[in-house]
Amino acid sequence: MTNKIEAKYFDGQSSASQQTIVAFDETMNEFRLHFAAGTSFVWNLNDLRFEQYGHLLEIRNKNYSGALLKIDDKNFSQSFYVAIKENKGVDIHTRLLKLGFSKILAIAVCLLGLVMLAYFYVLPPVAEKSAALLPNSFDDQIGNMFMETFLDHNTVDSAKTKYLRQFASELNLKNEKPLQFFVVESNEVNAFALPNGQIVIFTAILENMQSAGELAALLGHEVSHINHRHSIKMLCRSLAGYLTVSLLLSDVNGVVTVLAENAQQLHSLSYSRQFEQEADEQGLKILMDNNIDPNGMVQLFDQLEEESEYAVPKIISSHPLTKDRKENMRRIIYETVYEVKPHNKLNSLFEKIKR
Amino acid sequence: METLITSDSDQTQNYRFDFFGKGSDYFAIMIVNWLLTVVTLGLYYPWAKAKSLRYIYGQTALNDERFHFAGTGAEMFRGFIKVVLFYIAIIATYVLLLQVAKLPVLAILFLYLSLFAIVPFAIHGSLRYRMSRTSYRGVRFGYRGNRDEFVKSFYKWALLTLVTFGIYGSWLLMNIRRYTHQNIRYGDVEFSNNADGGDYFILNLKGYFLTAITLGIYSFWWQKDIFNYYIDNMRMTKGEQEVRCYSTATGGGFFELLVVNLLIIVFTLGFGKAWADIRTQKFIFDNVKMEGNINIEEINQTEEEYTNAMGEDAVDFFEIDLT
Repeated sequence: MTNKIEAKYFDGQSSASQQTIVAFDETMNEFRLHFAAGTSFVWNLNDLRFEQYGHLLEIRNKNYSGALLKIDDKNFSQSFYVAIKENKGVDIHTRLLKLGFSKILAIAVCLLGLVMLAYFYVLPPVAEKSAALLPNSFDDQIGNMFMETFLDHNTVDSAKTKYLRQFASELNLKNEKPLQFFVVESNEVNAFALPNGQIVIFTAILENMQSAGELAALLGHEVSHINHRHSIKMLCRSLAGYLTVSLLLSDVNGVVTVLAENAQQLHSLSYSRQFEQEADEQGLKILMDNNIDPNGMVQLFDQLEEESEYAVPKIISSHPLTKDRKENMRRIIYETVYEVKPHNKLNSLFEKIKR
Repeated sequence: METLITSDSDQTQNYRFDFFGKGSDYFAIMIVNWLLTVVTLGLYYPWAKAKSLRYIYGQTALNDERFHFAGTGAEMFRGFIKVVLFYIAIIATYVLLLQVAKLPVLAILFLYLSLFAIVPFAIHGSLRYRMSRTSYRGVRFGYRGNRDEFVKSFYKWALLTLVTFGIYGSWLLMNIRRYTHQNIRYGDVEFSNNADGGDYFILNLKGYFLTAITLGIYSFWWQKDIFNYYIDNMRMTKGEQEVRCYSTATGGGFFELLVVNLLIIVFTLGFGKAWADIRTQKFIFDNVKMEGNINIEEINQTEEEYTNAMGEDAVDFFEIDLT
């Protein structure tokens, strides 16, 4: 049985529209176009490309450059879609769109959920494992790069640095790579460790210290960051996170990107909290193994807490000092057997550093 | 639905634009784009772009007939790869100059100059591609600009802009506009543009000062002045026949468009961008009017078939569209 339908046709040679009668059978494998002048020709389903606007179909033929057949009929539009879909003439994008708005949204939400799960639970361990693949020379390069610019803008207190180095050499810090210590003049209550083994202590954080134990605790904490390659792991994590986020947002605009970048930073903060705890615990162990009173760690926290009543010290904003952290230290000290010995040399060096 | 147009060529008539796009439809397209882009780790991007463009073109109609964008993801993907390779070559040369040859000044100069040198090629290539893939009533658009001539002029205008500390920038922009527009064809209809650097300079000078005086409020009217200047200077001719364009956009219209778009985007955390984009398109096509005596039913195909356009010229690095 042959069906016939009226349609509008543009021949691709001029912009004039022509009326045509389109004849087709049930399979819709071919369309015969009849014109008033008596001419006719056949379009094969295989060669057709289409756009659908409601029931309106705009059909183009790859062998008829520019030509355009317009058919506005509900039944035709539906059967045409079925026929061309069976003929594999419909791409995945159009098929998905045909599912309808709510199904598309459901698929998108599911995919987003999966990606989020991967982001929070799969990405961090994978990124950390990949950090192990990076050679140690990478740590050194990154650290040196940072330190070069840092020293350009800051002044090293050479006398205090000398005493701090003597102080550190009295301790067994369990370091795997050579360490280098610096005391830098600054009003900022801060200290940090670089992946290349360099540790910087600011003068302001030394000023309020009461005992050699506190300084030893600070050194133990910073050395643990280096021993466990925390900064390289952080770098890998945030890099992987950033890549994931930018991939996810490839088609969304700037506002979301900004939000996502901030979220990414908050997320890094919770990474760093986990690393802080590890550094606290390892630092505490260093104190105990050196027969130094582990309460030095708790005193260090107390002192920083007091400081934060006037202004939040930099070290707290980057190393969040929570009640939990202090509680954790107290609990470990309580549960562990340790021995404290007098450290006259450390005490006298500490006095010189304080001066 | 077809408006029959009188064939009397002296008869002045107007032409009507319609934009039928809907935010919800466009949003669905964007979501599917996003899905496929994520699943393919970003490789789907050119196909996604083709889909968005095809929707916007297909929803734009002049006198009840829709426009058509025939570009495909595969074409844009090939172009995208070429551009990426070109950028890699530039960066590699830069790093070589910096690290191996230890010539930092030369390296930075090379980087900026080569990135700048690309601009006219990119303008030419993307126009050629976009126009060759655009059609209306079965008749193609085309861009016939001469690449070497355009590149030479562009460098000259850019140099003048540099030595006049940016003042010549107005002329640079309007010269580009004039040159590119006068080389656009729709079948045997030729486009042209009367925009002039001097007028444009004064328009912007006025806009700048009034915006400063009114603490930014005038910026919407400034925007309107620029848009209207662009549209009012456009013209199409076919032999003796002519169509003139004019804009009915108002400062208040721009105010509403831009402020509401901003609110939509901010309050939906960006997810409402589809609706904002559709509002912008609708605003443009509601405000662009055309009047003249070209018979829209009597235009002849003159531009080369686009399957040939991918021939020798495909070597052109920038025969793609990245905007």
